[in-house]
Amino acid sequence: MEMTSIDLDVDILVIGGGVVGCAILRELARYDASIALLEQYPDVCEGTSKANSAIVHTGFDARPGTLEARLLAEARQLWPEVIARLHIPYLQTGALMVALNEQEQATIAREIVPKAAANGITLQPLSRAEILEAAPYVNERIVGGVLVEGEGVIDPFWTTRAYCEHALLNGAQLFLGERVNAIEVGPRRLRVHTENGRTFSAALVVNAAGLWADEVARLAGDHSFKLTPRKGEFLITEEDHGVAQIILPVPSEVSKGILVTPIVFGGVLLGPTAEDVSDKRDLATTTAGQQRIREGVGRLVPAMTTVSTVRQFAGLRAVSSTGDYIIRPSTVSERLLHVAGIRSTGLSASPAIGHYVGTLVGETLGLRLRTSYREALPEPLSEAAHEDGEVVCLCRSITRGEILAALRSTLPPQTLDGLKRRTGAMLGECQGNLCLPRLIALFQQELGRDPLSLEKHAPGSRLLVERLTHLGSVPAHRCERSKRGQ
Amino acid sequence: MRKVQMSAYTLEDMPLMEDLHEGDYDVAIVGAGLSALSLLHSGGTALGRTVVLDYQEQVGGLLRYLLPADGFGTEWELLRDFQLPAGVRLLLQTTAVGLLPANDAEPTHTLVVRQRQGTTQLRARQVVIACGGVERPREHDAIPGTRPAGVMTPVLALQLLAQGYLPGRRALVYGDSRYALATARRLAEAGLEVITAAPASGNGRSVRLCGTLEEICGFPRLTAVRLLCDQQSVEVEVDTLIYATGLLAGTHWLKGSGVALTAAGAIAVDAHYRTNIAGIYAIGTVVRPGLDHEDSVRMGKEVAALLPGGVS
Repeated sequence: MEMTSIDLDVDILVIGGGVVGCAILRELARYDASIALLEQYPDVCEGTSKANSAIVHTGFDARPGTLEARLLAEARQLWPEVIARLHIPYLQTGALMVALNEQEQATIAREIVPKAAANGITLQPLSRAEILEAAPYVNERIVGGVLVEGEGVIDPFWTTRAYCEHALLNGAQLFLGERVNAIEVGPRRLRVHTENGRTFSAALVVNAAGLWADEVARLAGDHSFKLTPRKGEFLITEEDHGVAQIILPVPSEVSKGILVTPIVFGGVLLGPTAEDVSDKRDLATTTAGQQRIREGVGRLVPAMTTVSTVRQFAGLRAVSSTGDYIIRPSTVSERLLHVAGIRSTGLSASPAIGHYVGTLVGETLGLRLRTSYREALPEPLSEAAHEDGEVVCLCRSITRGEILAALRSTLPPQTLDGLKRRTGAMLGECQGNLCLPRLIALFQQELGRDPLSLEKHAPGSRLLVERLTHLGSVPAHRCERSKRGQ
Repeated sequence: MRKVQMSAYTLEDMPLMEDLHEGDYDVAIVGAGLSALSLLHSGGTALGRTVVLDYQEQVGGLLRYLLPADGFGTEWELLRDFQLPAGVRLLLQTTAVGLLPANDAEPTHTLVVRQRQGTTQLRARQVVIACGGVERPREHDAIPGTRPAGVMTPVLALQLLAQGYLPGRRALVYGDSRYALATARRLAEAGLEVITAAPASGNGRSVRLCGTLEEICGFPRLTAVRLLCDQQSVEVEVDTLIYATGLLAGTHWLKGSGVALTAAGAIAVDAHYRTNIAGIYAIGTVVRPGLDHEDSVRMGKEVAALLPGGVS
């Protein structure tokens, strides 16, 4: 590796393109400074940010006095403006925590309500009858519960992308597919090397590498904290049975438990499980895990025990050795700032984490605010504005115009999953098996991508292995469009 | 080398949007797969003013990516020799996204359709829903494991082959329907090493491995699948899984229409293919996702005999 040539020299470099890294990038873009973000995957929002309950959580149950509780409280104030300026799909559903027996009811009164009060949130106690009237799908055997009014659901992908697009609009640079493999700490600058052989130099580096933040710290010689992955399995159903609120069980020590969560675009999300694992790439779903979800949600909403599912997935959240967010300079240099151990509340706290870290960095480097900052993203196109109404994704009625708009956006998808998350195509019953060839063709047409190079998600996830050399053995009834396109 | 000649109805046959408003049709057929083609073949001009619409670029449904294939002679002949009866309008790349049944104020059924030019409506006295379905993916059956590249259903593998790409090198085809095994043969012809597997069944068709799919392994590309064979877990190293366990009725677009569904999500019909709504019929996969293609052809024929004049 050539250690002396610098590919990019910036004031601030953010490592990690999850919801936290992108929220920080957006806040840093307010300053008169050059900034860039490195993400190991070919898209933003690929780690913990992509597989979670998608809840904008009030933090009513956070441990009072922690940085996490403080930032969740600040985020509550910031969300309305973020949602409006970045045009993020959001639904304030409210959450019902339901007690299945007197003991749980007592826990709510003894622990949950006072803790929420300490966090500045008043919970509204509800009787069994009140809950069943508002949410007739809830288990009839409940004895009571509380309403957490401020809880809502959002699209985490949209949120992360919007943060990033907003930063790009204000001059930030984004480098996808750059996995950091070495960090040199100097007195005034840090050098960050990636597996692709690139070298980035910065006056300050923000380590927002999510689950890998401890490994990034170690690359700089900092062994001060350790993150372990906790796996959460989910399943998605399109049978909503009228579910319109988030339904929460009374939490245990390990986890907030298995929830029933409406999805902002329709359908219901069930999960997560909570299982400590050793492999940071273990995203496999299991029979036992799926079974546990069914049992868990069955106690809250009995109809969910037997619903059909369109998709299952697992996410890994970072559990830190400290029990709170780790937002502080590294032990080896003031110029390396860790933003780690964000557990499962990163999405909810992201506007406040971004603001907190942005201010911290601004003060550290003595930065001034830029004069030409653009406060909002342009309005997204309405459905009618897409010029081509032909349905491409049959299951979800996603049109060719919508696909083209995503491929032509500021932050276009690089992978098929990236396209899926930007449009909703491939998310229906057939999971893309019918329309995927059409999407590959549009990728090629719009972005010049060779179909052979297209990946599903992670590096190495190519769909096609080679061109057929002996076409004679395969019937040549290709579709008319692809013939014309050639 | 096989030389393929097929009746190719393409975009040129598609009228401009304003043409759709020319008035009411006697019959609107949603879908141009086997059951619809069979209906048109048998019904012919006796159907009256008829419109057929389909999501795809050509007629023939999902099966057209497989045909011609050994054992699918009847289906291939129907597709190959298909002639659009005079007076029947065919709208391709036109997708029904909603159905508003007739009511007191509106005596005809209305289909909400999307095509390149936008969203529009079609009105018809009788509607035959012959939209088939989509193939069941592994997600529908919640098969545990990772989510790697290389897991697909037959229609994806066959489309990729037709576009000139190899989807993998060593595939396990899971399923023992005629369609699954024909897909396996096609993949083998294209140069893949193919293993067929399915749970033990009494349909008389044999596969190489009898077992139940238990787990999908590997990331970012599939490396193996695990099958439970005679209570023994067997790991089969493959880079491609063709999940060919059947179809799901394509009824999502009927949400809110009032057309009654069975518990399994298919359209509920009586012996005359009548749905619960007068003048709305359904045939083919959308009424019985498990049926064989031959039954689709038969249903099309039978409903053709019922339609003219209308039994409703």
